Amino acid sequence: MSALRLISNRTSQQALSNSDYTWEYEYYEYGPVSFEGLKAHKYSIVIGFWVGLAVFVIFMFFVLTLLTKTGAPHQDNAEPSEKRLCMNSFVADFGRPLESERVFSRQMAEESRSLFHFCINEVEHLDKTKQTQKGPGLESNIHFQEAPRSSGMFEEDLSCLTKFNIPNFVNTEQNSSLGEDDLLISEPPIILESKSSHHILD
Amino acid sequence: KNISDFSLNVTDCTQVVVPEEVFFTVAAAGILENLLVLIAVIRNKNLHLPMYFFICSLAVSDMLGSLYKTLENIFIILCKMGYLTRRGDFEKKLDDAMDSMFILSLLGSIFSLLAIAADRYITIFYALRYHNIMTLRRALVILAVIWTFCAGSSIAIALFSYEAATVIPFTILFPLMMFFILCLYVHMFLLARSHAKKIASLPTSTVHQRTNMKGAITLTIFLGVFLCCWAPFVLHILLARFCPHNPYCACYMSIFHVNGTLIMCNAIIDPMIFAFRSPELRSTFKKMFCWAR
Repeated sequence: MSALRLISNRTSQQALSNSDYTWEYEYYEYGPVSFEGLKAHKYSIVIGFWVGLAVFVIFMFFVLTLLTKTGAPHQDNAEPSEKRLCMNSFVADFGRPLESERVFSRQMAEESRSLFHFCINEVEHLDKTKQTQKGPGLESNIHFQEAPRSSGMFEEDLSCLTKFNIPNFVNTEQNSSLGEDDLLISEPPIILESKSSHHILD
Repeated sequence: KNISDFSLNVTDCTQVVVPEEVFFTVAAAGILENLLVLIAVIRNKNLHLPMYFFICSLAVSDMLGSLYKTLENIFIILCKMGYLTRRGDFEKKLDDAMDSMFILSLLGSIFSLLAIAADRYITIFYALRYHNIMTLRRALVILAVIWTFCAGSSIAIALFSYEAATVIPFTILFPLMMFFILCLYVHMFLLARSHAKKIASLPTSTVHQRTNMKGAITLTIFLGVFLCCWAPFVLHILLARFCPHNPYCACYMSIFHVNGTLIMCNAIIDPMIFAFRSPELRSTFKKMFCWAR
């Protein structure tokens, strides 16, 4: 950066005028630097810096891995964690406008209540056949349309829940209660598309 | 003492020169990639969300960084070929403008990363109120404030770069932001881990311990990339300010162009770890390319 060259010009050569501003590609404006009598290797700062950086990154990685294995407890109460569990385990695909209109024409409280009931059902049904439970559970309570690919999704979702990928999800404006913790899934994230719902709720 | 007389010892650290082809290739790749991200977000209405706006802001700052390097290279080539004088006022102003563009890019990157981390934090910990807290309008206001602040600071820093007072806050800002972002992500990570523990306690879950590693790897990649790409340059600024005549510092400063190339590599890597992780954005890309064909 040539601003730095300006700094060095002004600090090192006080007697010279300020017209010594040059478009140099090199940094030799710092003046002749004596390399005599160096105790350590001349690139010691470079090496030390990169080694330090690598050590820090690896240290950070090990600290994070240790956090996954040992217990630094972050105890939430059971209810939100159940909710989160449930949010993650269904895929609400609002791609078809007709269904989403039906969905969003209901009251929001009704939706969240039914969602919560769904969640409780979901937790209870976890030990039963997963795939078959998911379909009726969704449709009976919330009328959300399941994505066609959801047949293998439940298994995938459970394993996805255990992966922490930095949240990468798309959430719609009005579905705040639905978007809770689908963040923990990044492949695939829960995408709530509601093109028609935008103008319904506006 | 004649400033143009540079008698250097044989053992001196000569400037490590990155070939111009490499420079331009890396810069062009960075600019193109981030431009694609911007276009994809603009074209797809589903992506008009606060989270994607912050990712766009990161893409813009990465583009500015790459653009700066490209322009600087072009001007240096023009200087060498004699089209521009080396000591003119116009060149001085141009150089100041480009320095401020670079600082703008750096500050924009830092604040965009901070905004992305804060957005994700709010999404996890204030999930029920997320859409009230982070409305689209508020996200745009936040972005406007961030970029105004960055623009003001970059112009101030470029104009007053000879003051120590500008260099020190600039270099303190960097680790502070890094630390803050790290704290946000670690807190989110702890929550995810406790969540995973709860799932593991369910009777029928098939939890693989190995999958928890993925979170650690993701976080390390995020912060590691940012550190490795920006820290060398920040250290360079510090050393240039405080020990320009020390031989060790001079040797470090001789790899300045490698540090610049690293910053442009950051512009290439950032979309991959932020933008392209979203399937929606990936599918938008595929549509764009298929349509182009």
